[in-house]
Amino acid sequence: MQLNFAAREVALKLVYYGPALSGKTTNLKALHELTRSESRGRLMTLETKDDRTLFFDMLPLVFKTDTDGGAMNLRVKVFTVPGQVVHASTRRLVLQGADAVAFVADSQISETENNAASFLDLRTNLKELGRSMKDVPLVIQFNKRDLPRVRSDEEIDELARRGKEPVFKASAVNGQGVIESFFGLLELAWRKLDKEHDLTQKLGIGPDEFLDKAAANLGYEGKARELADACVGGAKWRGGKP
Amino acid sequence: MSDEPAPLSTDVVGDTPVALEDVVDREALEDLCKSVHALFGIGVRVYSSEGALLANVATELELCRAVNEVSGARAACGTTVSVAKSVDPGEAGEITHPCFTGLAYRIVSLEHEGRRVGRVVLGPFAPAGLREAPPSLAQTDKRLDLAQATDLLSRVPRVKSEALGRIAAHLKTSLELIIFSSHKAWVTSKLHLYSVRESYRELQDKTQRLEQTLARLKEVDRLKSNFLATMSHELRTPLTSIIGYSEMLAEGIAGPLNEEQTEYVRTIHSKGEQLLRLIMGLLDLSKLESGTMSLRQAPTEITPILKEVISTLAPVARKKEVELVLDATDVSCELAADAERLRQVFINLVDNAVKFTPKGGRVTVSSRVTQAPPPSGDDEDAMGAVLLAPLLTQVEVRVADTGIGIPPSERTKVFDAFYQVDQSSTREYGGTGLGLSIVKRIVDAHGGSVRVEGNEPKGTVFVVTLPSAQARRAALPSRVPPPAP
Repeated sequence: MQLNFAAREVALKLVYYGPALSGKTTNLKALHELTRSESRGRLMTLETKDDRTLFFDMLPLVFKTDTDGGAMNLRVKVFTVPGQVVHASTRRLVLQGADAVAFVADSQISETENNAASFLDLRTNLKELGRSMKDVPLVIQFNKRDLPRVRSDEEIDELARRGKEPVFKASAVNGQGVIESFFGLLELAWRKLDKEHDLTQKLGIGPDEFLDKAAANLGYEGKARELADACVGGAKWRGGKP
Repeated sequence: MSDEPAPLSTDVVGDTPVALEDVVDREALEDLCKSVHALFGIGVRVYSSEGALLANVATELELCRAVNEVSGARAACGTTVSVAKSVDPGEAGEITHPCFTGLAYRIVSLEHEGRRVGRVVLGPFAPAGLREAPPSLAQTDKRLDLAQATDLLSRVPRVKSEALGRIAAHLKTSLELIIFSSHKAWVTSKLHLYSVRESYRELQDKTQRLEQTLARLKEVDRLKSNFLATMSHELRTPLTSIIGYSEMLAEGIAGPLNEEQTEYVRTIHSKGEQLLRLIMGLLDLSKLESGTMSLRQAPTEITPILKEVISTLAPVARKKEVELVLDATDVSCELAADAERLRQVFINLVDNAVKFTPKGGRVTVSSRVTQAPPPSGDDEDAMGAVLLAPLLTQVEVRVADTGIGIPPSERTKVFDAFYQVDQSSTREYGGTGLGLSIVKRIVDAHGGSVRVEGNEPKGTVFVVTLPSAQARRAALPSRVPPPAP
């Protein structure tokens, strides 16, 4: 996070991580489609000719909102990492300074091992950057729910209940679950920063209010809570509040 | 991990404001401004948010030239321009800034990722309703010729506010697209650089770890060889006493022994000798492995060595009723070799051959001069064969027996230390399993090679090739012994 109190500007960095071809770029493209044009910048994709992400994709979301302490600027940059194994060093570079990570997993049963390998890779890279999985807010998205031979809802629900982090189900190619995952991630990131930097006090805006304003600016007036709650598991993540 | 910090790439993957100066190609920017200027006849200037002028395409109006000839008016003009450079374009990002001449400038801010990164200043232009010079012009400097100014003012093209708005909007869109594309290219190139650097750092880390491991392994290997050498020596000393005293006992120096006692003592003596040979073999092996065995290389011929080997082993062969034949007439090729070590090689091979050949069998030792096949493969290696051929001369010695033979799958393993084709404890043929590995190491140390072939209809042939002295001096690549597996 970059926090500029004088300009009342907060810059967040959210990173979409996951194995190759799990739909990270598709998530970003859908997010671009599904947000208000006034609040989003141009989607920057650095792709090779076969549509594989070479370095990263980046979508800037920028909006201004009123708070009890005056107007504030929020800048959210959403990044994807390149999923292919060979781009390990680029993944680490992009991951630098991430405020929260959305792990986009491929729901297909055949991809189970790739999901796990990529998750371990995330853990290794965070460690290399001097951070730990425990300190980085995380949501998991099971993408490609529309495909056949995917892990069943029951299985995911059962696993999610045992896990710590919220789990979202999505079909990014159809735009489903994308906004939900994003708001889940944004809320998680903001609550953590609020706790660490006392943003409620310093900026005059609490997490719930923040999320409402963000939703309104992105075209989802009054729906923040509903969207962020569209997950399974992660019961404890909102600071004990179910 | 090395101590060097990871390269700072937060500028690229963070939220550092973009500096137009860094990302935009000025020539491309200037070209775009030129085309707008050519279309509408309005001056176009692009400034970065820091106030740096990045593009400037304008032809000076006659009115401006006239104004600038008068000192007071020139100063006022300077002020107008500098305000246009810095005036806040407000929430809308677009503002019209008037000039004292009645002309005006249109200022449009350039945005990228929700930040203002620069501005376009269009003008000066004449607003559509402008008829005559305004009072502000007369007030600026008394020396200005108002009649002339009004005349010049009438020649400046009139631009409607809506039209100007459209021009400005178009220019803003185009410029922002250029900024986006330029920023994207900038990010790509930077990130490329950083990932290469990061990959390089990773490789360096790995190389360093491998080097450390290699050094440690080398040290362990050295310790092992040292240990072996020391142990061999320590074992040999008491063994010498055992052999010596058992020999003296057997010879009756300490008094006569009965037949049974003599047999026991002779067994002690012969087993002691066997143990000594094993220890000596181990010592040789460790020396060869650690590279501490020095070869006394001198001009040598193969025939005398083979003759001597045959005569040494003839009694053994005769006793076993195995025919031992030497076929080595007219082999004249100078070798650069340690004759003593080569003798050891062939004693080992011939002794083995006799050992594994049943009664009535035959062991043939033959030698001849051959040409090593020229290095095959690339064209480069095949070049200059006519020059290199003389250097490819080698001596080939074949030790053929009619014994039990070695299955093809075992033929490379026989050179491993302690390897026996028959690993069972009840095996028919004794031996330490060190002989052939010593043979191989000595031959390797001479730049030669040793291999096993089958003998027809049965038996084994050990083929030793040794490069000529000339070939060794030239050190042809094909002569370099292959790295140990």
